[in-house]
Amino acid sequence: MSLLEVEELRTGYGALPVLQGISFAVEEGTTAVVFGLNGAGKTTTINCLAGLLPVWGGEVRFDGQRLSGRSAKAIVEAGLSLAPEGRRVWAGLSVLKNLELGAWSRKDRRGTEETMQQVFGYFPRLEERKDQLAGTLSGGEQQMLAIGRAIMSRPRLLMIDEASLGLSPKLAQTVFEVVSKINDNGTTVIIVEQNVGVLPYADQALIMEKGTLTYDGSGSELERSGELRRTYLGEAVAS
Amino acid sequence: MSAEVLALDVVAPAVSGFIQGSVYGLLGLGLVLLYKSNRIFNFAQAEFGGVAAFVWIFFDTGRGVLPNLPTPVAVLLGILAAVLVALLTERLVVRPLFNAPKITVVVATAGVLLLLIAVEGFLYGGEAGSFPAIFSGDAVNSGAIRVTNQGVAIVVVLAVLSILAALFFSRSPFGTAILAVSQEATAARLVGISVERISALTWGIAGFLAGVAGILLAGTIGLAAPGSLTGLALVPAFTAAVFGGVTSLPGALVGGIVIGIIESEAQALIPKENLPGAGKVALFVALLLVLLVRPAGLLGKET
Repeated sequence: MSLLEVEELRTGYGALPVLQGISFAVEEGTTAVVFGLNGAGKTTTINCLAGLLPVWGGEVRFDGQRLSGRSAKAIVEAGLSLAPEGRRVWAGLSVLKNLELGAWSRKDRRGTEETMQQVFGYFPRLEERKDQLAGTLSGGEQQMLAIGRAIMSRPRLLMIDEASLGLSPKLAQTVFEVVSKINDNGTTVIIVEQNVGVLPYADQALIMEKGTLTYDGSGSELERSGELRRTYLGEAVAS
Repeated sequence: MSAEVLALDVVAPAVSGFIQGSVYGLLGLGLVLLYKSNRIFNFAQAEFGGVAAFVWIFFDTGRGVLPNLPTPVAVLLGILAAVLVALLTERLVVRPLFNAPKITVVVATAGVLLLLIAVEGFLYGGEAGSFPAIFSGDAVNSGAIRVTNQGVAIVVVLAVLSILAALFFSRSPFGTAILAVSQEATAARLVGISVERISALTWGIAGFLAGVAGILLAGTIGLAAPGSLTGLALVPAFTAAVFGGVTSLPGALVGGIVIGIIESEAQALIPKENLPGAGKVALFVALLLVLLVRPAGLLGKET
């Protein structure tokens, strides 16, 4: 049984359908990367998985448990966590308060403190700036904070939307390396990305187009297949 | 200016303005809290206090079929009624409009205000009566300067509630969660905070503050008539909130006191024959000046 199983998932905004019924599964302990152009439905997919959008049809199962129709609160308590697009840190609160609130769904104080130290281990810059207001951090630091906050709930599945958006190539690489470490420590990861620099870290790659899934395979196969070139550059793929 | 005239014309109005302003600050605190949480201005805020005052007086006097209860119990019931009305407003009016334009929610709170005034009129009758002071007698009475026990109680209550509010927002997880929801509700949902519960908590606190302020203010002004608290205190409380920067809780408290003193000094120093209602005019001038010169308010940052 896969950790996450998505079957014929459909959702949208208001009356506007976006996902046309996508199916995929993510194995425990792996890193899956979702590629696609703007408007392909990547963010819609993980927002729906996180409970921010209603499930119109289909099924989402996490570790065998049905998640469809459950609230964002119930989903984070089940073990899924999302670092959202645009970071969405609490600008008027300190770095420390942002991280503490990330552990809202947890009751174990001691464990929370341990996770906080783990986050500071991944991102030492956050510890240096723990008393600083989140709104005064740089874009890269805010991305670190958004990921750190998502880790604070101690998720089994961490989802990160546009991890490298707006970051320099070097900083983006640093973020990918940290995400790889998080994965090595046992957390399953789904990253939504446009930056193909993440591909070396991907066990599984998914490509979305117009609300459908057009590729689901291993990261290394994707590198060889030229499917990414077709998606992003519109080039024909040699069969 | 002799010492006696100074005491009579400047110090005495400043003292009474400080006391009156403390109540404006309490109401302003509720307005700021709801603005921070829902990004709306609640027109019914002062009337939540009106409900508290009427419920208090109904039970204090044993009106109609109601029992005649000891004053502390009647006061407590009044405050609880204000909390209940605020919670009902959140659940039945604000929450269904979560995704509506903010102006719709603001207009809806004006509807709540009108409804509350109508209910008060139905239960109390159309004619004005009087509210008694909870604390009778004077704490200071030295000729020119007079401070009532009710006035001392107001300042003490303001001080205690200010400290509690500061501790709540800086130390308690729920206080931090209210701030988090006001800044980024989506992120709050993602960490498992129930935005709906936090909204209810915020309205409950705003109702509590309005209830305390309403009972203290009613006992100070004496006038009991449907809608009287809104007529007398809503605009000053709004001005207090703007003075403090609309999003600053300490700013609302300081703003309330400043507004109270300005209003009281203007009333004392400008003869009625020259400018009737000088206190309210001064209040509007102060509001305009703040909006023009320092629109970010006295403290100028979200706290």
